Amino acid sequence: MDFRWDVVWNALPQMVDGAQLTAQITLLGIGGGLIIGTLCGLVTAFRVPILHWLVFAYVSVIRGTPIVVQAMFIYFALPLALDITLSGFAAASLCLAMNAGAYITEIVRGAVQSIDKGLQDAGLALGMSYPQVLLSIVGPLAFRRTIPPLGNQFIISLKDSALFLVIGVAELAQKGEQLTAQTGRALEIWTAVAVFYLIMTFTLAMIMRLIERRMRIL
Amino acid sequence: MSPLITCRKLHKRFGAIEVLRDINLEVHTGEVVVIVGPSGSGKSTLLRCLNVLEPISGGELEVGGKRLGDRRTRKRDIRRETGMVFQQFNLFPHMTARENVMLGPRKVRRQSRREAAALADRLLDRVGLADRSHHYPSELSGGQQQRVAIARALAVNPRVMLFDEPTSALDPELRGEVLQVMQGLAAEGMTMLIVTHEMRFAADVASRLIFMDEGRILHDGDPKVLFESPPSDRFRDFLRHVQT
Ligand SMILES: Nc1ncnc2c1ncn2[C@@H]1O[C@H](COP(=O)(O)OP(=O)(O)OP(=O)(O)O)[C@@H](O)[C@H]1O
Ligand SMILES: [Mg+2]
Repeated sequence: MDFRWDVVWNALPQMVDGAQLTAQITLLGIGGGLIIGTLCGLVTAFRVPILHWLVFAYVSVIRGTPIVVQAMFIYFALPLALDITLSGFAAASLCLAMNAGAYITEIVRGAVQSIDKGLQDAGLALGMSYPQVLLSIVGPLAFRRTIPPLGNQFIISLKDSALFLVIGVAELAQKGEQLTAQTGRALEIWTAVAVFYLIMTFTLAMIMRLIERRMRIL
Repeated sequence: MSPLITCRKLHKRFGAIEVLRDINLEVHTGEVVVIVGPSGSGKSTLLRCLNVLEPISGGELEVGGKRLGDRRTRKRDIRRETGMVFQQFNLFPHMTARENVMLGPRKVRRQSRREAAALADRLLDRVGLADRSHHYPSELSGGQQQRVAIARALAVNPRVMLFDEPTSALDPELRGEVLQVMQGLAAEGMTMLIVTHEMRFAADVASRLIFMDEGRILHDGDPKVLFESPPSDRFRDFLRHVQT
C-alpha cells in the first residue's frame, strides 16, 4: 500500500484545528489541575482538619475510576444532576483539571513530605516563624522536587485529552476519526495524528527539561 | 547574676515513654557544659527541649530571662536566645553558604540584605570559610558544612549555643577543624551546651560535665574530678565503652 502525501496535505488544516483544541484543553486542564493539586496537596501534607478527609475522598474517586467514565459523568450525568448545560469543551477541560488535580495532589504532598524535617528544625531553631520556614525553606525545596513528576503528569494529561472524542469534542483524535471516515485513508491520517501528538508531547517534555535544568533539583 | 538557662523539674514524654525525668539544671553565662551519656539517655531531647523544638511535658523552662508559658513569651523568643548546631548539619541545600548564614539575620533580625551579607562574610571568615561563601552545601566537605552551620547559628546573635553531636557524622580527619572552631568560641566566652562523644575535647574545653542516664542527670560537676574518679559504676562503664 502506498502512502498518499496529498491526503495528509489536505487534512492538515483540520488537524491543526484539532491540535489547537487539544492544546487549549490540555493547558486549561493542567492549569486547573495545578491550582487544585497545589491546594489539595498542601491540605493533605499538613493534614488540615476535616478538609484532608475530603481531599482523600476526591483523590480516591479519581484514582479509582477510568478517566473515560469521569468524562462521561461530567458531560452527561453532572448536567442532569445540577440542571445545567456544559459544552463539550468545558466538560473536557473540567474533567482534565479534576483528573490531573488528583494526581498533582499526590505529587505536591509527596514533595512536601520528602523535605528533611531537620531543615525545618534548622529554620525554627534560628527563631523563624513557621510560615517563614515554609516560604523560605520547605516551599522552594518542595517546588523543585515537583518538577520532574509534574512534567510526567502534563504529558499524561495531554495524551488523555484524546479520549474526549467520546464526548464529541473536536480535538485532535476526534479529527483523526472524522478525517479517516471522510477519506478512507486510515494509514495516512493516523500516522499524521500520531506525529502531531509526538510533536506536542516532545515540546512539553523539552520545556520541562529546560525548567529542570535551570533549577537545580535538590 | 541570674542563670541564662533554668530548668526546674523538667519532664518530657513521648507517648507513654518517659524520656526526660525531673531535670533540674542551671547554666550561667560563659559556662561550657559538655553532656555525655549512653545512646537513648535523652541528650538530644534535652537540647531540643531547651529551644522548644520539642514541647516539654512538665516543669519550668527559662532561657535568657524568657519564661516558657508566660503569656508574652513566644517559642520564637526563646529560640532567638539559642543557636543550634545539628549532627547532620541541616544546611539549606538551595542556598549558598553565605545565603545560609544570611537567612536568620534577614528573617529574624530584619536586617537589610547589605547588613546581613556583611555579617555573613564576617562569620564565615571567623570559621575559616571566607573563600567558600558562594559554594552550595553540596560543594562543601562535611567539616566545612558544619562550620557554615555554626556561622549560621551565630548569625542571629544567640546568648547560648547548643551543639548536638556536631562531629559524629564527620570522618575522623574532619573533626578537628570543627572542634577547633568550637574551642575558639569557648575561649571567647560563648556559653555552650555540647552533646558529644569526644572525651578529649570534654576534658580540655568543658568547664562542667553532665552525665545523663535513662532520662536523668546522674552526675553534674567538674570534668577533671569526674573523669579521674568516676562516682558511679554506670559512669565508669560508660567511660570504658567510649574510650575503646
Ligand atoms: N520523636 C520521638 N518520638 C518518640 N520517641 C522519641 C523521639 N525522639 C526520641 N525518642 C526516644 O527518646 C529517647 C531519648 O532519645 P534521644 O535522641 O534524646 O537520646 P540521645 O541521648 O540523644 O541518644 P543518641 O546518643 O543515640 O543520640 C530514646 O529512647 C528515643 O527512642
Ligand atoms: Mg542524640
